[in-house]
Amino acid sequence: MGIQVLFFGSITDITLVAALSWEYCADTDTLMKGVLNRFPALANKKYFLALNQQVIHENAPLKQGDTVALMPPFSGG
Amino acid sequence: MSSKKHHSIFYQGSIPAQKIADDIQKHSTKTNIGAHSIFLGQVREDVIDGEKVVAIEYTAYESMVEEKMAIIREHFFQKYALSCMHIYHSLGTVAVGEICLFVFTSSAHRRDAIDACNEMVETIKKELPIWGKEICNNQTTVWKQNN
Repeated sequence: MGIQVLFFGSITDITLVAALSWEYCADTDTLMKGVLNRFPALANKKYFLALNQQVIHENAPLKQGDTVALMPPFSGG
Repeated sequence: MSSKKHHSIFYQGSIPAQKIADDIQKHSTKTNIGAHSIFLGQVREDVIDGEKVVAIEYTAYESMVEEKMAIIREHFFQKYALSCMHIYHSLGTVAVGEICLFVFTSSAHRRDAIDACNEMVETIKKELPIWGKEICNNQTTVWKQNN
């Protein structure tokens, strides 16, 4: 099952895809290390994470099937 | 009242003026209402590096928006004495001059409708995972930033 990783807004200019299935990893820090390794340009981007649609501000444990989203600052309206 | 009832806020493309008129008309049977407040967001012709913006393309984390909106809606109905509240936000491409956001609050007396409408516009811009990309005349694009 692994982890579903979603990309939004200007983040997709770097990833060029809106979603990726990622191999399971224990927590969001480990996941992001892998994601940044794959997309080094993300290091210069401002974004925050949502785990299963809840914004998180620190490392969080992951379970199989979780969804992690990378979201740049919102610009709706 | 209708605090439990919610549907998607998303509207594909621009929000037609006729829909706004029709929605106002629908409330004539709700005779406890004494005040409506409406906010309309319109796509502005910004100039970026000498290029005119011709449209904004909106994308969103739709399921997260729905989840957040349900909570926000609940909070608004607790905070304000609203008879009803309707919110529509465009997805996809909206050309300059067209409507991309429609917030419509109704109450018995004006203050609740006006205050709720104002606060909702701010909340939408701040809290909802929606992104706008400005498309310029020369086809370059710039991700919009909210102030």
